[in-house]
Amino acid sequence: MKLVLRKLLHNLGSLTELGAEITSTHDFEEIVRTSLHTILGTLAIPKGAIAQYSARPREARIIAAKGISGVIDERIALGRDEVERFKSRSKPVIVKAERNGFSQFIRRNDELFRRLHTHQVVPMITRGQFVGMIFLSEKFSKADYDDEDLAIIETIARHIGIAIYNHCLLLRFKSKAEDNRRLYREMRQLYHDTVKAFGAAIDLKDSYTSGHSHRVAKYAEAIARKMGLVGAELEHVAVAAYLHDIGKIVVERAIINNPRPLTEREYRELNRHVTTGYEILSHIRQPWKEIAYMTKCHHERVDGKGYPQGLVGEDIPLGSKIVTLADSFDAMMTDRPYRTRLPLDQALADLRHQAGKQFDTEVVRAFCRLLLDEISGFARQRTLLMMIGLNFDRETVVNMLDSMIAEFNQSSAEA
Amino acid sequence: MITAVEIREKIVDHVAVLYPGHYLNQLRGENIEIRCRELLAEGIRHVVINFEETELINSVGISILLGVIEAMNDARARLVISNLNAASRELFEVLGLLAELRIEETEEDAIERLKSAV
Repeated sequence: MKLVLRKLLHNLGSLTELGAEITSTHDFEEIVRTSLHTILGTLAIPKGAIAQYSARPREARIIAAKGISGVIDERIALGRDEVERFKSRSKPVIVKAERNGFSQFIRRNDELFRRLHTHQVVPMITRGQFVGMIFLSEKFSKADYDDEDLAIIETIARHIGIAIYNHCLLLRFKSKAEDNRRLYREMRQLYHDTVKAFGAAIDLKDSYTSGHSHRVAKYAEAIARKMGLVGAELEHVAVAAYLHDIGKIVVERAIINNPRPLTEREYRELNRHVTTGYEILSHIRQPWKEIAYMTKCHHERVDGKGYPQGLVGEDIPLGSKIVTLADSFDAMMTDRPYRTRLPLDQALADLRHQAGKQFDTEVVRAFCRLLLDEISGFARQRTLLMMIGLNFDRETVVNMLDSMIAEFNQSSAEA
Repeated sequence: MITAVEIREKIVDHVAVLYPGHYLNQLRGENIEIRCRELLAEGIRHVVINFEETELINSVGISILLGVIEAMNDARARLVISNLNAASRELFEVLGLLAELRIEETEEDAIERLKSAV
């Protein structure tokens, strides 16, 4: 084969491999190092380095070097006019050439260029932007670079420039995406804080149920997690639980705090809180669009005897069913104007009695399993016990929970 | 023997013989230069690189080979290349490397040349 053809094939091979490398999924450092090897191996150049330019501060940083040690991360300051001059030319600057237009730049970096054995500096320009420089030593054979060599160097430099440009673009996107994620996290935190503040405001209206919204939220979140809900679904249940009584804001304080049995009119007024709450919360769209309806249904019953719509079974959102149980259980476990709190075994007996009527059986079963896990020490967190306390007969409660779970399992298997 | 850096090698009468295969043509081929420097540190002063398993040498391979040559020169050690195919020999000629390298047809010739230089 004629040597000219062999050289052409070698150059073409280099460009092909460089193209494949640049579009590969290898990490940036690997791409740059391979690219440096490619340009050096194409013309048998023993030493070289690649520097990436950054406009703020205006400097180039060496990111890859071959045949020279201790130069990675060295920085080369550039004047604004020098950057502009590099941008206006794509040809290499031969360091020792007279009147190359960069005498000040070369003099200023003389010591580094000596260490780099720099024969020429090749600017990398991509989409009109100066992205960096390649420093090349003399060829291994000490032969002069001919015009053909300079042409292939320019071409390869353009390819490497594209890789650096794309990398910078990707970093900017990543940084922007991270900013957005941070803002989103902050916004969510703000939402959560606002929700908690609303919950506390609702609870202040009822002198007997201080902290009710907070406890219902904790119960509901723990049950939902036990039922396998995660991410946004889990969050929606917790938020709905915090805000389930928000409609009470418009109910007269005298009715809420009435120690006597309520009259028909007072019941109607109190029961309005679910539709009022829905009207308040339906203004919320993203990210918690579902919670308005979830709170509206927290007094529905699976047997259809609830309000405001009298929904049955699966027509009631799961989140609402969870909040219903959490709300009722907290009511049983706290002192009321007309009675003291129920003992835990009695509250459990009520849940058992109302499973399939007021409460969804699956939700009661999840609650029982969660409580049993906490009492037995299998649960990582003791969310329920933190609120219930330990003032109960452990054996009685464990036996009840075992029996309830077995009963629910059996009815579930039969269904 | 396969070294920790995945290059087949053997030592014959204080001459290290390396078989870079296609390993030379990729970034991991930098390990060949590292292995040569290790051999130099161990006192080896004669190295043969046998290209019998290397069909093609690309630009990355050339760059890495130049690193090996420079490492050998810096240590005043001697390197001989053997079993170079016609395409690679032409490439070395195009790049002006023939004049800078000692090349022998076979590994045995390369080892003999280095032993006679001791």
